Amino acid sequence: METGESTGRPVAPGVFEVRRDGPVLIGATCPSCGVTSFPVESSCPRCLSETMEPCDLPRSGVLWSWTTQGFPPKSPPFRGAASADSFEPYLVGYIDLGRVIVEARLVGVEPAAVRIGQAVELRLVPFPMSADDGSVDDVLIHAFAPVGAP
Amino acid sequence: MSGVSIIGVGLHPFGRHVASGLEQGAIAARAAMHDAGISWSDVDYAFGGSDDAGRADTMVARLGLTGVPFINVANGCATGGSSLISAVNALEAGAADVAVVVGFDKHPKGAFDPSAEEYGLPEWYAATGLMLTTQFFGLKIQRYMHEHGISASTLAKVAAKAYRNGTLNPNAWRRNPYTEEQVLASTTLADPLTKLMFCSPAEGGAALVLCRSAIARRFTSRAVQLRSAALHSRPFGSFEVFSPWLSVERGDSPSVNAARSAFERAGVGPDDVHVAQLQDTESGAEVMHLAECGFCEHGEQERMIQDGETELTGRLPVNTDGGCLANGEPIGASGLRQVVEVVTQLRGAAGDRQVPGDPRVGFTHVYGAPGVSACTVLTR
Repeated sequence: METGESTGRPVAPGVFEVRRDGPVLIGATCPSCGVTSFPVESSCPRCLSETMEPCDLPRSGVLWSWTTQGFPPKSPPFRGAASADSFEPYLVGYIDLGRVIVEARLVGVEPAAVRIGQAVELRLVPFPMSADDGSVDDVLIHAFAPVGAP
Repeated sequence: MSGVSIIGVGLHPFGRHVASGLEQGAIAARAAMHDAGISWSDVDYAFGGSDDAGRADTMVARLGLTGVPFINVANGCATGGSSLISAVNALEAGAADVAVVVGFDKHPKGAFDPSAEEYGLPEWYAATGLMLTTQFFGLKIQRYMHEHGISASTLAKVAAKAYRNGTLNPNAWRRNPYTEEQVLASTTLADPLTKLMFCSPAEGGAALVLCRSAIARRFTSRAVQLRSAALHSRPFGSFEVFSPWLSVERGDSPSVNAARSAFERAGVGPDDVHVAQLQDTESGAEVMHLAECGFCEHGEQERMIQDGETELTGRLPVNTDGGCLANGEPIGASGLRQVVEVVTQLRGAAGDRQVPGDPRVGFTHVYGAPGVSACTVLTR
């Protein structure tokens, strides 16, 4: 999976936005207790407030935990276009952004080099997604990579 | 303390079978009634469920059309525990003298494939490959090992123990032993977890016959007292399966709350327990659940497991029937299988895997998506 910036359709509206200075994840903050969610939630699971305000999330953070996806997920619900034979294992992590810990793919690093606590930053990467009719669309998904990784 | 006793237990062997899931449930129910010395016409209330194998109440066509009220329960991995709690409530409310609880399942091969919609999550979360139970378990134990100094050797020892216990259980699915080295050398599915550290979706059935304790002696002299049964959903700050985000404010898991409630209601504590069955979807789960259920401090498991304290002959034998690792995971049946095993141990009837020293207090814990936990305390 490439780690460089790409153009393409976001995997879904409202997950992230591409700004002039780069991509940003869209979360929501509770005006009553300050809890931040990702993606946007409509109510606060902590203080039960029924309003949450959309907000930009920090673009960098530290790796909080990680694992590997060593086998192809069942499809559906998985829509990755690779066949079982061409499936490439991938990394998944939780990234502590200071106000919320978000789950995302981890790119630009090999499993042996991953360390909890390492600094990572937001990237958008292409994801070949298959539709019900079999067509494949290269959408963009959010991921995190070690700071400075190519 | 609940006023409910268990007077009969039954299983259909776990594994892969020709019989439908429903038939496996009916066989388990008949076995439990036979064990209790009652017939289906003696049953005042029934509760049961499966996740993947159909409606439990259709079992009346096999067991007998007596008109008994039969309520289907669907609560994910806690389906068995939820059926049990429903029966306890009915018995304590005076709605029944004798109740049957039954759980069964029959899952296709391979990892579970839940839809995002079913869990109230956006479709992209599953479509892009983030919604897998295996990932959650890898992510949770990876962080836990980092925070609490648990080694890969300890994860492997948990699995090796499960397979060893499974060889002693005629109802288990996996009955071949694997060494710690073989467990570590098997394919990594979700780092740090290998294939042999994970249970597999499977098939099987489990059933209980319960009655009000006041009348238990009518049926048997070896009733086991269900001291308590408690179920909790997740509190804010817990680390749960299928979470696109976690709070930076970390909190307890639902297992902490369910175990605490179960012990409080039972009037006994973790130190009093002689045999425990803890949800072991994978090796790390058993390690973490030991602390979450109050049996040790976080991190203390490393020494406990390396010293063999959770083996059949140890201070606190855990998953004496091989757990989910050796039995597989038929979701509707697993929580009740744990109760069947504890009752069997408390009766002293567990054969080659019998815990020595006349165990009198047992504990069960089941956990599953999207963050629900059910615990029981049993005594004789």
